[in-house]
Amino acid sequence: MTRPAPLAAGISAAAAAGRRAPVLHAEALQLRFGAVAALRDVSLSVAENEIHAIIGPNGAGKSSLLNCLSGFYRPQSGRVYFDGEDITQLRPHRRAAAGLGRTFQGIQTYPSMTARENILTGFHNRMRTGVFGALVWWGRVRAEEEAFTAKAEEIIEFLELEELRHAVVGDLSYGLRKRVDLGRAMALEPRILIMDEPMAGMNPEEKGDLARFILDIRDANRIPVVLVEHDMEVVMDISDTVTVLDFGEVIAVGTPREVRENEAVIAAYLGTE
Amino acid sequence: MLPTGVLFETYSAEAGLLKTARARVAVAALVLALLAAPLATGAYLQGVATHMFITLIAVYGLHVTVGMAGQINIAQSAFVGVGAFATARLSEFGLPFFIVVPVAALVTGAVSVVFALPAARVKGFYLALTTFAAQVLFPIIVLGLPTSWLGGLVGLAVEPLTVAGRPMNTPTHMYYFTLALTLIASYAAFNLHRSRFGRALKAVRDNDVAAEVMGIDVLRHKIMAFFVGSMFAGVAGSCMAWVLQFVTVESFTLFTSVWYLGMLIVGGAYSPIGAILGVAFITLVQEGLHELGTAILRSGAQEAGGAIFAATNIALGACILIALIFEPRGLAHRWQVLKTGLQLWPFPHR
Ligand SMILES: Nc1ncnc2c1ncn2[C@@H]1O[C@H](COP(=O)(O)OP(=O)(O)OP(=O)(O)O)[C@@H](O)[C@H]1O
Ligand SMILES: [Mg+2]
Repeated sequence: MTRPAPLAAGISAAAAAGRRAPVLHAEALQLRFGAVAALRDVSLSVAENEIHAIIGPNGAGKSSLLNCLSGFYRPQSGRVYFDGEDITQLRPHRRAAAGLGRTFQGIQTYPSMTARENILTGFHNRMRTGVFGALVWWGRVRAEEEAFTAKAEEIIEFLELEELRHAVVGDLSYGLRKRVDLGRAMALEPRILIMDEPMAGMNPEEKGDLARFILDIRDANRIPVVLVEHDMEVVMDISDTVTVLDFGEVIAVGTPREVRENEAVIAAYLGTE
Repeated sequence: MLPTGVLFETYSAEAGLLKTARARVAVAALVLALLAAPLATGAYLQGVATHMFITLIAVYGLHVTVGMAGQINIAQSAFVGVGAFATARLSEFGLPFFIVVPVAALVTGAVSVVFALPAARVKGFYLALTTFAAQVLFPIIVLGLPTSWLGGLVGLAVEPLTVAGRPMNTPTHMYYFTLALTLIASYAAFNLHRSRFGRALKAVRDNDVAAEVMGIDVLRHKIMAFFVGSMFAGVAGSCMAWVLQFVTVESFTLFTSVWYLGMLIVGGAYSPIGAILGVAFITLVQEGLHELGTAILRSGAQEAGGAIFAATNIALGACILIALIFEPRGLAHRWQVLKTGLQLWPFPHR
């Protein structure tokens, strides 16, 4: 895997973003938990190749929105389209197979497995070995394992995890586990990458590394990235489009500059910080 | 971890089960010793070993369902029973063992899926309860069916095992037959760990929410964990049928299911090594206490001898408790620590 572009400001693509066909499109999502309306009439369009940030105060519904996109939550109404297909009814694992890659808020890696095994699980839907192949371990199974281990090693190299390939993930630091989580999402060979607060709890150096990885993944694979992030500096730096949520509603969409100057946003979010 | 100086040319070589010359020699020596053992032992010890092999195959299966996939199962003995009854019926058709064993395994796997379909949708206590129901229902169903099906209370006679046209009717024959199946089952159990399927099961165990979002069909894999675990049980059931030559529901009790779990816990649920160590350890303790009890009985101290027999289950129960409290990763983890220590010796640094 190559890493063509260094850490770029990433604002140039923003102007064109609105005109390209959306890869992922959510329409009028409504999600309630009892009396709590987590999402009210939320729509979102993610264009090809853009970095799309979703921001908003705590409890605004950011994670709920991502969970509706990846299928972990079912909205009470509204639709989700991916590459023009209606995926609203697909279960999460089918969406992953369709090309929706996802990283999680907090730590959601597989703690008892090694870094490499965690990444290999991401290839699940690209691999073919079934139960009987696993038991008997015949030649084709061996060859497949060899080929995908080589692919996992490419990701390991890209994420600079070489020293830790055989380390048990439960023993790694927070920042490194987040990196393994990203590696596992990359192994899905996704056509869109959705990340929930990838940088929360990281120190500035780890944040810088991760921002670089995100931009590099976008550039190398030409896929859009949707990310929820609280760190405004990072958001303004790397995103092309920003959607602002407040109390389950979209209150603004635009380039980082537009959003920063939007009065509703200043009132609801930036102003209160 | 590996000793220094071991390098791999390919990822397949790195994925090998026996990575070093030392490991290959050790396993070869163990297999040779097991092959030669009947020369130096009598029928009784061969019978104990045969029983241990069968138990190990069943516990390998439990290791898949409970250890790898994290799905508690207290019906493994009932599934061994399904395999045994299937074998008894199949043996009537004069089929060779290499047809009977796989078919019995598949039948057992299929029966387990019937129970796994509801069980895989619930977790923890309710899952335990569902598998408990499977264990309780087993004798009820067998006894409830027409006697012409599974023999009812009387049970079923098993046509003797023949290999290459020759009847296998001595303890030594059964020792070698079950040893061969144990070696095959061991290879399969270790293979699972390095495969796509094995990783998916472990992903489901470690974090089922993440696994689902990362493209693994969690429900399907929970069911498959029961299917594969019960196929091992089916193979163990086949062996059991031929050893006992007669199958009745009484041989497949909840008590035995709990013992299988106990062995897995003592050995360590997370690796097939744990199954081996747990089965070997508990069998040794059981046999040791049994010998001791018999010796005391012979010396005339009736009451002391009786007490030893009564204390056997308490002692074994204590082993499980001690393992749960002090080493939840089981003997397998202790073994790993010891091995690493030996490889690093005399330099205590990585
Ligand atoms: N599974 C759930 N059950 C009940 N309520 C939920 C659930 N998930 C989210 N909510 C509620 O929905 C609202 C939106 O939550 P959500 O987690 O989407 O917010 P968020 O924007 O991601 O917040 P944060 O910045 O803290 O991560 C909150 O009021 C939350 O309590
Ligand atoms: Mg959140």
